[in-house]
Amino acid sequence: MTYNRDRNKRRKQLRRWGLFAATLAIALVINLPVITMILNSFRTTEEILTSSTIVPTNPSLVNYNYVSLNTSFWSYFANSIFVVGSATLLVIMAAALAGYALSRFRSRVITIYSRGLLLVQMFPLVLALIPLFILLRNLKLVNTPYSVILLYTVVGLPFATWMFKAFFDGIPRELEEAALIDGASRLRAFGLVVLPLAGPAMAAVSIFTFLFSYNEYLVATIFLRSKDLYTIPVGIASFMQQFETDWGSLMAAATMAMVPTFVMFLFVQKYMMYGAVGSGVKG
Amino acid sequence: MSSRTASQQTPDRSARKKRRTVWFPYLLLIPSAALIALVNLYPFAVGFLYSLEDGTLIQEGSFVGLQNYLDVWSKADFIGAIWFTAIFAFFGVFGSWAVGMGLAMLLNQEMPARGFMRVAFIVPWILPSVVVAVSWRWIINDQNGLLNMVLGWAGLDPVYLLSTGPFARFSVTLVKVWRSFPFMMISLLAALQTISHDLYEAASIDGAGRWQSFRFVTLPHLLPVSVVLWILMTIWSVNDFDTPWLLTGGGPSNATENLSVIAFKYTFQRNDVGVGAAMAFVTLVILMIFSVLLLRAQGDED
Repeated sequence: MTYNRDRNKRRKQLRRWGLFAATLAIALVINLPVITMILNSFRTTEEILTSSTIVPTNPSLVNYNYVSLNTSFWSYFANSIFVVGSATLLVIMAAALAGYALSRFRSRVITIYSRGLLLVQMFPLVLALIPLFILLRNLKLVNTPYSVILLYTVVGLPFATWMFKAFFDGIPRELEEAALIDGASRLRAFGLVVLPLAGPAMAAVSIFTFLFSYNEYLVATIFLRSKDLYTIPVGIASFMQQFETDWGSLMAAATMAMVPTFVMFLFVQKYMMYGAVGSGVKG
Repeated sequence: MSSRTASQQTPDRSARKKRRTVWFPYLLLIPSAALIALVNLYPFAVGFLYSLEDGTLIQEGSFVGLQNYLDVWSKADFIGAIWFTAIFAFFGVFGSWAVGMGLAMLLNQEMPARGFMRVAFIVPWILPSVVVAVSWRWIINDQNGLLNMVLGWAGLDPVYLLSTGPFARFSVTLVKVWRSFPFMMISLLAALQTISHDLYEAASIDGAGRWQSFRFVTLPHLLPVSVVLWILMTIWSVNDFDTPWLLTGGGPSNATENLSVIAFKYTFQRNDVGVGAAMAFVTLVILMIFSVLLLRAQGDED
């Protein structure tokens, strides 16, 4: 009996580690493009082209030095931070208000608005960009960061609104009602009672907005025409042409560009796990 | 509940409050509704007008009626773009669904460091598209690419993955699958975790094997979420500009141009706003059909 149970337990243990090894192998193969990119960024282009190993034999920071000192990488990075930071701030302000309305009030207009958000998410960006380019050019906003900030704000809105709505749904109404009875206006009740509790929702929304806007390429490449306004994705895309044969520098630049994305992702990965379809699709 | 008792105590204040609540939610919606109107509704209306004119980015054109919509169908590159969009969306969606499903089943098993594994499999999804392009180009590049280097060591002829039409289409779609499967995986995994263990026990008592319990318990349970995922991912594939553009620029000779890329090209490179806008509207109509399907699927669930 005990012998059998032990053997069963051992077999189960063995199976779990076998699964672990298999999964790890699959994960390595799937991530091979990223892994080779990171590893290659630590060796010179000549070495990349001649070497027959995946792991660098004598790692160096030559490429990172080059990208840091001889290209506009850090100016692109500063542009990205300005655009992404402004868009995130605007998304939080607009989406917190709208999410609160969706969470606390019921009416036909609100239902239509909520369903409309779903359509907005499906709107082909290219279609919006044609008239907006002409409009914003007439307003002298093309080739300024403001055009890009405006677009990122709107693209981020639907998802952020749903996140806030879901969060406010979890806050008991009694809290605001107590404030209303004490004579506070609805806006004060929201701003002073509900909003201070929404820290976690704000953190999640900011990180998701960050991830989207920091990674975005199409809008930025259309609206940002001069080099000194480029954000990271447009900058890297220009490196792709410029450094066509300098793989080392290109991979170092791409690896550097990926770091903020990766850090932010680690903060929100648990939200992504459970909310992917739930919060993204359901209004 | 408590608000009702409160209103009974102070009837006239509650009447005032009631009036206030009528406009208060709309006040809250104003900022985001205004932004959405500017960035979505305005382009929708004005873009349609542009599609009826022969203007450029600099100059408004004259009214030509539906001429642009008739013209696009005689453009070989537009027909090609519709064709490639269909291939790209179909294989992209089912490829990423199949890979995501397999990995979701795998990650649903008990194993050490499962949380780490899940994170490792989401990486392709969160990377900026330019980083994806750089890392993949190194593997599939015609000259010096890793794949051709390995083929060279094995004494085989190189494969020109980016410069021959069919291979370029394959590569772009493969990269799309790579970028999309994590979303499928985490959504399917979340659905898998809601399947009650009793169902599997009942199936095994009825004599079902592994395959049969997958076929008759798991798959039917995952069907509703899968339908939503197929439709969503189709929309995202049709709207995907970055994957083809950054990998191949739509080439070789338009082989990997999808509807987003071709609308972009006509508008912003050839300066033909009327045709570009018409192409974008055709895309929207195709997507609307899918949106309706999505709303229906959602409605059935609720």
